[in-house]
Amino acid sequence: MLQHERTALAWERTAIASMVSGTLLARRAADLHVSLAALGLLQVVLGAALLIWTGLRYEQLHAPLRRGESPAHPDAVRIIGLTTVGFCGAATVIAIASAMT
Amino acid sequence: MTSTPDHEQNAYRQGAPTPTPRPLERWFPRDPTTVGDDPDYRFTLANERTFLAWVRTALALSAGGLLALTVLDDVRGEEFLGIALLAISFLTAATAYRRWALNERAMRLNTPLPSSRLPLLMAIGVAVVSLVAALIAALN
Repeated sequence: MLQHERTALAWERTAIASMVSGTLLARRAADLHVSLAALGLLQVVLGAALLIWTGLRYEQLHAPLRRGESPAHPDAVRIIGLTTVGFCGAATVIAIASAMT
Repeated sequence: MTSTPDHEQNAYRQGAPTPTPRPLERWFPRDPTTVGDDPDYRFTLANERTFLAWVRTALALSAGGLLALTVLDDVRGEEFLGIALLAISFLTAATAYRRWALNERAMRLNTPLPSSRLPLLMAIGVAVVSLVAALIAALN
C-alpha cells in the first residue's frame, strides 16, 4: 500500500508541475498576444483537474488492489502523455515565434 | 518447419496482436493491457511512476526554458537557451507514453524490459545546454 501512496504522490507532483509550467507559459505567451495566454491557463486548469482526479482515484483504488486487480490505467497515461507533448510543443512554437518578432 | 522464439509463441498464445510496422504505432503503441497477464501490482505502479517522472522532467525542462525567456530578457542569447530547453522538453514528452506502453507490455508478456538510451541522451543534451548557458553568461 506504500507503493500505492507513492504513486498517488507522483501523480500529484506531476499535476503541480503542470500548473507551474502552465503559469509560466501564460506569462510568456501573453507578451506575444493576450489570447495565447489561454494555452497556459488551460494547462493550469488541466493540472488542477488532474490533482482532484488523482486524490479520488487514490481513495477508490484501495479495494481493487486488495482484490488483486491491475491498477494500470492506459487512458490516464495516454491523456497525460499527449497533453504534455502538446504543451511542450506549443511552448516551443511560442518561444520560436516570440524570438522572431 | 519454422521456428519462432519462445516469447513470440508465448505472445501469440496469449492473444497478442501481431506487430504491425505502422509509423503511428512506433510512437503511440496500442493499449498494452489487452495482452498477457496482470503482473504484480507493484510493478505496474512502479512503471506508472517512471512514466510520471519522465512527464515531470519534460515539464521541468519547459519551465526552465520559459523562465530563461522571461527572467533573462535583457541577456543576449537567451532565445537560444530557452528554445533549446523547450525543444528537449518536447522530445522528452514525446517518448514518455511509448516507454510506458513498451514496459507494461513486456511485464505482461513476461519478456525482458526494453532498454533505453534516453537517460544518457537527456544527460548529454542538458549538459550541452548548461555549457552554452555558462558561455552566454560569460560573454554578456
